[in-house]
Amino acid sequence: MKKNKSVLLSVPYMLWMLAFTLIPLCVVGYYALTDPDTGAFSLGNLQDLSMYLPVMGQSVLYSLISSLICLLLGYPVAYYIAHRGPVAQKILYMLVMLPMCMSFLLRTLAWVGLLQDTGIINNILDAIGIGRLKLIRTPGAVVLGMVYNYLPYMILPLYATLVKMDDRLIEAAEDLGCTPLQTFGRVILPLSVPGILSGITMVFVPAVSTFYISQKLGGTDTVLIGDQIEDWFKQGDNPNLGAALSLVLMLLVFVCTGIMNRFGGDEEGGVVI
Amino acid sequence: MKKANRIITVLMFIFLYIPMVVLIVASFNTGKDITQFEGFTLKQYSELFRDEDLLGLLGNSILIALLSTAISVTFGTLAAVGIHRLKPKMRKLVMSLTNIPMTNPDIVTGVSLSLLFVFVGTGLLGNRESLNFGTLLIAHVTFGLPYVILNVSPKLQQMNPALTDAAMDLGCTPVQAFFKVIIHEIMPGIIAGGIMAFTMSLDDFVISYFVTGSDFVTLPVEIYTYTKKPIQPKVYAMFTLLFLLIAVLMVGMNLLQIRADRKKGSKRPESRSWQIAKRCIAGALAVALIVGCGFLFFGNRQEKIVLNVKNWGMNMADGTDETLDIVAAFEEKYPNIKVNMSYYESNEALFSQLSNGGITVDVIIPSDYMIDRMIQENMLEKLNYDNIPNFEYVDEQFKNPSYDPKNEYSVPYTWGTVGILYNSKYVSEEDVTGWELLWNEKYAGKILMIDNSRDAMGIAQYLLGYDVNTVDKAELQACADKLAQQRPLVQQYVMDQIYSTMENEEAWIAAYYAGDCMLMMENNPDLQFYLPEHQGFNLFTDAMCIPTCCKEKEAAELFINFLCDPEISGANMDYICYASPISEAKEYMEEYLAESEIIYPAEEVLAKGSAYRYLSEETSRFVEGLYQNATKTVDTSGSDNGWIVPAVLIVVMAGTLVLLFVTRKRRKV
Amino acid sequence: MSKELIRLRDLTMEFDGERILDGINLYINDHEFLTLLGPSGCGKTTTLRIIGGFLTPTSGTVTFDGQCINDVPPYERQINTVFQRYALFPHLNVFDNIAFGLRVAKLPKEEINQRVQEMLEIVSLKGYGHRRIQSLSGGQQQRVAIARALVNRPKVLLLDEPLGALDLRLRKDMQIELKRIQQAMGITFVYVTHDQEEALSMSDTVVVMDKGRIQQIGKPEDIYNEPKNAFVADFIGESNILDGVMLEDYKVRFFGRIFQCVDKGFAPNESVDVVIRPEDIDIVAPDQGHLVGTVTSVTFKGLNYDIIVEFKGFKWLIQTTDHCAEGSTIGIRLNPEDIHIMKKSEYSGMFGDYSSYSAEYDELTEDAGDEEE
Repeated sequence: MKKNKSVLLSVPYMLWMLAFTLIPLCVVGYYALTDPDTGAFSLGNLQDLSMYLPVMGQSVLYSLISSLICLLLGYPVAYYIAHRGPVAQKILYMLVMLPMCMSFLLRTLAWVGLLQDTGIINNILDAIGIGRLKLIRTPGAVVLGMVYNYLPYMILPLYATLVKMDDRLIEAAEDLGCTPLQTFGRVILPLSVPGILSGITMVFVPAVSTFYISQKLGGTDTVLIGDQIEDWFKQGDNPNLGAALSLVLMLLVFVCTGIMNRFGGDEEGGVVI
Repeated sequence: MKKANRIITVLMFIFLYIPMVVLIVASFNTGKDITQFEGFTLKQYSELFRDEDLLGLLGNSILIALLSTAISVTFGTLAAVGIHRLKPKMRKLVMSLTNIPMTNPDIVTGVSLSLLFVFVGTGLLGNRESLNFGTLLIAHVTFGLPYVILNVSPKLQQMNPALTDAAMDLGCTPVQAFFKVIIHEIMPGIIAGGIMAFTMSLDDFVISYFVTGSDFVTLPVEIYTYTKKPIQPKVYAMFTLLFLLIAVLMVGMNLLQIRADRKKGSKRPESRSWQIAKRCIAGALAVALIVGCGFLFFGNRQEKIVLNVKNWGMNMADGTDETLDIVAAFEEKYPNIKVNMSYYESNEALFSQLSNGGITVDVIIPSDYMIDRMIQENMLEKLNYDNIPNFEYVDEQFKNPSYDPKNEYSVPYTWGTVGILYNSKYVSEEDVTGWELLWNEKYAGKILMIDNSRDAMGIAQYLLGYDVNTVDKAELQACADKLAQQRPLVQQYVMDQIYSTMENEEAWIAAYYAGDCMLMMENNPDLQFYLPEHQGFNLFTDAMCIPTCCKEKEAAELFINFLCDPEISGANMDYICYASPISEAKEYMEEYLAESEIIYPAEEVLAKGSAYRYLSEETSRFVEGLYQNATKTVDTSGSDNGWIVPAVLIVVMAGTLVLLFVTRKRRKV
Repeated sequence: MSKELIRLRDLTMEFDGERILDGINLYINDHEFLTLLGPSGCGKTTTLRIIGGFLTPTSGTVTFDGQCINDVPPYERQINTVFQRYALFPHLNVFDNIAFGLRVAKLPKEEINQRVQEMLEIVSLKGYGHRRIQSLSGGQQQRVAIARALVNRPKVLLLDEPLGALDLRLRKDMQIELKRIQQAMGITFVYVTHDQEEALSMSDTVVVMDKGRIQQIGKPEDIYNEPKNAFVADFIGESNILDGVMLEDYKVRFFGRIFQCVDKGFAPNESVDVVIRPEDIDIVAPDQGHLVGTVTSVTFKGLNYDIIVEFKGFKWLIQTTDHCAEGSTIGIRLNPEDIHIMKKSEYSGMFGDYSSYSAEYDELTEDAGDEEE
């Protein structure tokens, strides 16, 4: 009897999540499948999407590249932090967290100031005689913006798995004849797979759907799917097309994260930042 | 190896912190430009503390973060206890429901919630203001809840189940057992989840951006509109202060934790007085926060009529550069009205926001063709001209315009032309021959194109010699092709961002509204304005209207009337540099502006301009589609590798799906 | 025994200025089963980790087959370790865990397969190759850990409290199993434990350590019968330790009486520690005893009774199969060979008094030997 009662506590929550996560997605589906002018059922929006395939491809490409760079940069950092003393760990962890709490809009804007043709970096390059380079409004700048904004999302889960790793496992590997490099490849890396997957997901998802970073740091060619969605909702007055794009974006993300999680084995994605 | 890790770590921290250093330095800069440090000043900070709007927004953000966190923590903890008791299968289902907002991109969550609120609120319940404080709160709670659940659930799982039994064995009711035993065990999870929900809510931009109504705006959303305009340096000052605040809070929390750890090590029980002191400090902090927010939030909102005005960016004198602060003057004259300004970037954006619904707006200032469209779609209220006696000052030629033939819906605000702004330092005079300057490959990467379909297509139409109001699809397609051809040369498609970009010479050529060009020319003397008379140009009128989603019609009419006062209009034009449809206003304007050929072109020049007319919904949509494709999608026609990426993607996906299937099968065996 | 394999010379180890090891000198012979025994924090695990190569000593040398191996990394030593709580790789199954070292050494597939199977058989885990580590019981995990180390055919196997996490019954079985494996494979075992019984029953040589120093090295019997100081006497088995004075060779005085003993070589009238094992004491009628005391407590232990007898305010522990009633007066006899004399040491007076005896003391000593680093 007692048990049954406390189970009831989860009912309002389930209703809330149904009402504000599942049903909204159905509404998105409804908009995506209706004609903007007549409100009748139509597949027109979905057919129009074929035009946006390159944009989607580009979004996925950029965010995959950024995830990869984040992984390559974040892993040594997480490893380094995880092997400090307890106080140093706390301080370094805090230093990684801190930027996440600050407005990402303004921090990205600062990159505009750094990278633009008349920006700080180019002014310095000019002053020391190298001359101005084309930094901003390139795919590279967009990737940089993504890496910059989402790198902490990679470091934190990696750190969480690395710090939990039993040092004796590493010693055991060395004991069994692994050189440090082999130890890394055969033990540390496989054991940090859950952290890596969680990190990649946490970088990939916001990166693939961003619109601000590409708006500020990108050029006219680096349009991402997020830009398109924002445009159709906020400028272009075609929420139906925007909804169709959102639907596709969502499916894209679910497929990508689903694949990653499947390959990561069935460990429950236990790492929350 | 270790050394390499250390070097990478140091470089990474430099990389993470450089932009913040740039912003912090900028907050002490006397100049406005982030890239040039002109001198040290604390002026930005004093300005920040005088800016009630900015502080109010900050208060809004903190208030919603506190409220949503409080709700998510209570609701989420209880739910976690319930979920913990569910059967494993059911629990898995609920947890995957919980994961939806975590794995879904923010933009999709935001879009879906805003569609839901409008769909249900406006569509089913008929509430015009369906996007409001409440919906924003719902959205924040929705994305905050999973953080609480995901942090509390593992703690419940780790907890020794015998604890509850022991408590009940000793005479606790289940509720008592929860408060006396369970809650202590899961406290770390609750705190961690609460902190996460709080920071996520405080810093959330994307979701809020889509579900924000007009009555309650949070700081990040407003900062987004700031970053599209020339940004005010006091925003940097606020960033710096927030940075310090958060840094201090984090350091404090860490110190407390380290202290607590040491305590645990020493096994000495925490002294009673220290415990009490800690509770007192925490309590005092919480009270201070809530009172502070309440003050910021409600202090500004005593029993006043709130008038929501949606205006173009930089389109009303706001008191900077020794101009009149029009809103302040209006509020002084009508102390019971509080004006709440928000901004849009283009007619299309305004239309989009209004037709998406869910918001309350009392006054808007769209352009001619858009007014026509809005009248036809029944989006405007008829005005009561008895409340707008100053309408009589409006020049006859602006009364009964073609877009509002009986003059029932609109009162003209400004008029002007669209021309080319160029920087004479970099652009040679012989190239300035007409609209084709915007297609000149010599200046590739230094050209800014106006970012709205009608103006951009219009420019192409003037260049190609078509009628600007053509509905011929072939002609429109040709214009779109022309724009697509221009795209590789364009640095950015911009609206209000044009200011900073042109003024600091990041770009050299732009198409924009004459008044704004005039403003920029004041800030950078190398800038020149050019009107391609021989090809034609757009002559526009912006007029004040009241949309059907208004709440305070009379106050709106008072506001419109106030702006038609020649003295006010003149003072306003001093700031925005547009032409006033009220001739008398010229007397109150600065002379150089009133006599400027750019603002008030000669009659024979004006005769060569033409106005946009509303075409039809179908054509509008067609044009919008053409424009988006020409300027915003990845170019597939020019290069043939555009298809490679999606093709690869599909192959990869198919491949992985097959692999998935195979591995799954093997696992079953 | 055969030739010397490992020698530790003047090893010291310091962590943050704290001295963990203080001048350890030790040699280990080939095919020997050597046990490092001591309470937690005595430095036994540190010594083991230095031999394994996971720590570099602050000073001193480790030689292996006559060569200094201070700077040889663990993966190049012909030494393998069975870790405290096993350190099995959770991402690999039983087979892959055991095959790990062989794969690193890039042995041919067939050989790996054959050796792993062989090993599985030796540790009685045949057919468990595909099981996940998490699905094994503690004893099975223990066997995997041993197999994983042994499959590499090391010259020396280091075992760090390998049985610490097992229950009593399983521990006894595994002790026999380990001894069997050691004899079958013919390799050197260096075994770390805080359990004296384990040490005595399995080892060829026992090294008793405390406070970073070696207290005594010897065969199990010698250690038990001839403890060098009060610490060893107390740590290995139960002891009553008394202050005495060595009058001359074979004559010791304590409790105001002179007893015959078998020890010699002390200075005349040197004060010494006298050890009397509780099981060596014979209970006799009060009038026949060397000493007469009152029984203050009796505990039934299964095989015997533990009784506490008070002699002139000093309490002794006596193990006897005869029942004595609480409060009765008894006499005891001490034969010369039951009395063991030790030189005074820093441990004198710290052990061997049962005045605060309680039935739980067994468990208390067990708890003390948790983990050490």
